[in-house]
Amino acid sequence: MCDTCGCENSHEHPLHSPLTKGEVKTVEINQSLLKANEDAASHNREHFDSNGIFTLNLISSPGSGKTTLLEKTAEALKDEFSLGVLEGDIETDLDAERIRKKGVPAVQLTTGGACHLDSVLIHKGMHELEHQLNGKKMDILFIENVGNLVCPSFFNLGEHVRVVLVSVPEGPDKPIKYPKAFKTSHVFIITKSDLLPYFDFDIEKVKKDALSLNPDLKIFVISATTGDGMGEWFTFLRNKLKSPPPLRGGD
Amino acid sequence: MHEVSIALSMVNELARIAKENNAKYISAVNLRIGRSSGIVIDSLKFAFDAIKLENPLISSAEIVIEEVPLRYECNDCKISFETDYIHFPSCPDCKSYSLKLLSGDEMDIVNMELEV
Repeated sequence: MCDTCGCENSHEHPLHSPLTKGEVKTVEINQSLLKANEDAASHNREHFDSNGIFTLNLISSPGSGKTTLLEKTAEALKDEFSLGVLEGDIETDLDAERIRKKGVPAVQLTTGGACHLDSVLIHKGMHELEHQLNGKKMDILFIENVGNLVCPSFFNLGEHVRVVLVSVPEGPDKPIKYPKAFKTSHVFIITKSDLLPYFDFDIEKVKKDALSLNPDLKIFVISATTGDGMGEWFTFLRNKLKSPPPLRGGD
Repeated sequence: MHEVSIALSMVNELARIAKENNAKYISAVNLRIGRSSGIVIDSLKFAFDAIKLENPLISSAEIVIEEVPLRYECNDCKISFETDYIHFPSCPDCKSYSLKLLSGDEMDIVNMELEV
């Protein structure tokens, strides 16, 4: 009988038996813990650049209005540009269905529990989306990340522009509570601005906090319900499409 | 919860390198994690210790994490200083917010020890 665990056969127990006798060797690695994702992100980015696809990654808490923003953007721009959407959620394809109803191809990526999208999932989703497009070129790809302001900010998906959204009812402290999301984004959209009269949301302070974390953030204040501020968002997208490839993040 | 994904990809990478080196076991892995990296060290250890059990090559590996302090250099008065203030640090001398990060955002696998 095995002395360590009492089972029938004698066998090796790497968990509690020593790693003895062999030669010990130290292997220098010196690489980022995120290397696997970064490698896949570079691959995605090359694909976006060589096919002239301007890609945005939208991150926010659940319920900030990411899908609604995409629905309104689809209505406004789908005749002007060829759009595609990758929808990240833990479960269901409700969001992809909402986008498809607007006449825009969408692929649902369900993570089955994971709280963020990674570059390998995006790679798979892209192939599915291109299958749906059936040879038609894509101008803009929107990636709607899983609703979460923490984990998605760690995972580069190869996007050109990262967009962080906060809705007025969520309160004004999101930038200082989730600094990484704001430090790693290029665009900050404050949504549901039509609700400003009903909430204690000091918009100038929120902007100031976000800019202290990241002075290069481009800020939009929008209401998808009234349409306020949406024009500036569309203009931003149109201007981005004018810049020659490879497209870059930032202003 | 991103620590679980990070631990999963780390275990795959360590296994790959260990196989390349014809290792019998990985006995230890050394990481450097910065104070402002956003990685919770206890969560990463917990995830690693749970995931490693699935792979005999790694199941006895001890994870050793060096926490790297957050250090800045002031762009105005050029002093360097350590701080725990992650969000809006300022220079303790001249109060400037114009700072250059010297360390604290690391999330690196430094090396590992193998039995070959």
